[in-house]
Amino acid sequence: MATHIIGLFHGPDSALAAAGKLRGAGLPTPELQSPVPIEGVEEVLGVKKAVIKRFTFFGGLIGAASGFLLAAGTAVLWAHPTGGRPIITIPPFLIITYELTILFGILATVLGFLISARLPAIRERIYVPEAAVDKFAVIVACDDDEHRGRAEAILREAGAEEVRASMEQS
Amino acid sequence: MDKLQYADVNRDVVRSLVETGPRYYTALFIAIGVTLACFFFPWFYQLYYGIGAAGMNHPAVWGTYLASFIFWIGLSHSGTLLSCVLHLTNSEWRKAMYRSAEAMTLFSLMVAATMVLVHVGRPWFVHWTMPYPNQMELWPNFRSPLLFDVMAVATYLTGSSIFIYMGAIPDFAAVRDRTSGWRRHMYVLLSLGWRGTDKQWHRLGWAYTFLAVLIIPLAVSVHSIVSWDFAMSIVPALHQTIFAPYFVVGAIYSGTAGIVTVMFVLRKYMNFEQYITRVHFDNLGKLMLVLSLIWTYINILEVFTGWYSGTSTELEAMKYKMFGYYAPLYWEMIAFCAVAPLLLISKRFRTSFVPMLILSVAVNIGMYTERFLIVTTSLSRQYLPDAWGLYVPSLVEVSILIGSLALFTTLFLIFVKIFPSVSIYEVKETMATPNRRPSEEGVPQWQPTS
Amino acid sequence: MNFFDRFTKGWQKYRKPGYYEEFDYAWTMTIDLDRCTGCSACVTACQAENNIPIVGEKAFAKGRQMQWIRIERYWEGEYPNAKLSFIPMLCQQCDAAPCETVCPVSATYHNQDGLNTQIYNRCIGTRACAVYCPYEVRYFNYNDHHWDAPLDQQLNPDVTVREKGVMEKCTFCIQRIRTAKDEAKDDGRRRVRDGDVQPACVQTCPTEALVFGDRKDPQSKVSKKLKDPRAYRVLEELNTLPSVVYLKKVDADG
Repeated sequence: MATHIIGLFHGPDSALAAAGKLRGAGLPTPELQSPVPIEGVEEVLGVKKAVIKRFTFFGGLIGAASGFLLAAGTAVLWAHPTGGRPIITIPPFLIITYELTILFGILATVLGFLISARLPAIRERIYVPEAAVDKFAVIVACDDDEHRGRAEAILREAGAEEVRASMEQS
Repeated sequence: MDKLQYADVNRDVVRSLVETGPRYYTALFIAIGVTLACFFFPWFYQLYYGIGAAGMNHPAVWGTYLASFIFWIGLSHSGTLLSCVLHLTNSEWRKAMYRSAEAMTLFSLMVAATMVLVHVGRPWFVHWTMPYPNQMELWPNFRSPLLFDVMAVATYLTGSSIFIYMGAIPDFAAVRDRTSGWRRHMYVLLSLGWRGTDKQWHRLGWAYTFLAVLIIPLAVSVHSIVSWDFAMSIVPALHQTIFAPYFVVGAIYSGTAGIVTVMFVLRKYMNFEQYITRVHFDNLGKLMLVLSLIWTYINILEVFTGWYSGTSTELEAMKYKMFGYYAPLYWEMIAFCAVAPLLLISKRFRTSFVPMLILSVAVNIGMYTERFLIVTTSLSRQYLPDAWGLYVPSLVEVSILIGSLALFTTLFLIFVKIFPSVSIYEVKETMATPNRRPSEEGVPQWQPTS
Repeated sequence: MNFFDRFTKGWQKYRKPGYYEEFDYAWTMTIDLDRCTGCSACVTACQAENNIPIVGEKAFAKGRQMQWIRIERYWEGEYPNAKLSFIPMLCQQCDAAPCETVCPVSATYHNQDGLNTQIYNRCIGTRACAVYCPYEVRYFNYNDHHWDAPLDQQLNPDVTVREKGVMEKCTFCIQRIRTAKDEAKDDGRRRVRDGDVQPACVQTCPTEALVFGDRKDPQSKVSKKLKDPRAYRVLEELNTLPSVVYLKKVDADG
């Protein structure tokens, strides 16, 4: 069983500073919860991998291929002469390709977002309701009492308005 | 007035969702009533009788339904497109208004899609325009501009609903914590278990930016494709290369005017005076001014190239548009869309609420007229003079036009009670956090004005 | 043959233009305006052959008449010196038809006879084809039509009756072409002979102003008519390549 120590801060700067200190003190990398995205998180907690761009890129590629194949493939398999044009006309098929590139790009981006942000959440996880209003929460998982004590001390020292512990079944 | 605090934003937005006065219910009741009486009832009559219930006839086979379709698609163009552009350029003033602007996009697209159903002769077969494998081994015609339309509008509808939803996930989470009962259940589902961790914010930021990047070219392509429904034909005055940019500019123009109207109503009746301010009206006014000038330029160009081509059909079409049966409508359009917006040069005009409302409504009336004229004047004067005709809308068409406005209003009224119509977290971003000095961090101080 | 092979074969075959040259027939009609008296017999014959509804006075006044072939009248000059000219206008069965490309559900396409066909039960009624047609020869069913009691007995069983919300137009009496082709096959002939098939309007024309045949057959009557120096196509500058060719009326005063 792991305990989470939660420190509530009034502003993003002090929360960030506290998170940096916790990390420097050899505790597990803390998690921040905030009402707005905080600038400069990556400098303190390490660079995050942006995996979504791969989803978008490959989604777009798949979309482009399927768009062109949909238009050209149906034209080839069911020849459909119209307007004196050749059966396979590239320019109009490119428009279908364009639209499907964007459609698949959007859908893949959403998929990438949901996967990488672990949404929708099925399991209950630690959550600080105040962080959705005006508090910046720093959450650190602690295994034993020694860690717990150190974390609490660091958080208080950094100016936390409130420090509390949360039990989580895992 | 005190400066807004973070908690105030949550309070105000949740209040707008939860506290519902009799005025809202009256408005909703009227909107639903008008929708049923003026939209669905005549439509069902038309389904029973056939398209003959409308005023279309032999040369003019397209009428107000298609004009309304272009109008609603056009109105949809400012919301998400503008929101994406402003998001990528980091404009602060976007943040208080983008949610309702995007909702406008979504609902006008829905109304536009409904207008297609109203327009076609056999709407019960309209799914044949979708490419899906079927036992008849029949596919749509991928060479048709109308099919491009189906693809583009379907993509746009998907894209903009995803965009507005994704931007609202943190707000659903914030609202979830402060509501109870069925609302809480709804927001629990809608928020997907959002917690606002640093990782989630990071992912959301990226995904949101990618969506914005994808949606900008999409929106431009949507109205270009709508213009190709006309420009790909060989009808005089429609077969023009200028049509794609003309439609896109016209769409953003009427959409911006639509946003001004919606902002006015939200500000007035939802008590968002502290969020939607003169700054927004000033900026939207500047945008409208620029767009009106481009629109005027393209209109002059259209007449000029028509005149310069010197072909008899083209000249006849021009002459008919400007001096024929529909001439009063043409000059009304010029007055509302080209002359009246010149008032926006004055800053005092741009920052006064009621004149802006009147102007924005006038611009949209003018833009509807523009679409109507594009459809009717060119179709009633084509190549063979024996087949010239005249198109006058019937009562059913006028009623459905009014009803479509009511349908839009109904959808919007339902929206403002479900979606936080001002983005909670993005408004907070524009406010200075307590222990960050705005001058140092480059975060502009939130200046409530009213 | 797997999908990939079919695709590459099809690609090589269909990428190039000129696909229509492989068609068996190219049905063509010539209309000699010198012979045309404007009697409208063709309009009536078409009405009877193709189950074209009579829309009634009110719908006609609204401009919703249904005439697959119509006589266009043009007046020149003022009353004492007025000159009337007319031209029968029907679907031109264009080889490069603008109406075909625009249909989103492929309800109209070019068939193996070189005809521009309209598939009524595929049509969803966008009416885009009627907008794209420069000859204005496509007619839309604005409502359901009915035939009063004895009249329903004279409907042609070879032709469908169209429902509301569907576009329709001249087919060059495709039902007669089909029958002629079937008979040719039964007789063991490869091709339909010239004169075996005539649309209703051609059959009815009292002055033989209308001539119908296959222009791929160099000996046919219509091929000879095409060589007439008076031959022209309506709105030729639009490059729709119509299959209906008019022979110009030559007046005494030029």
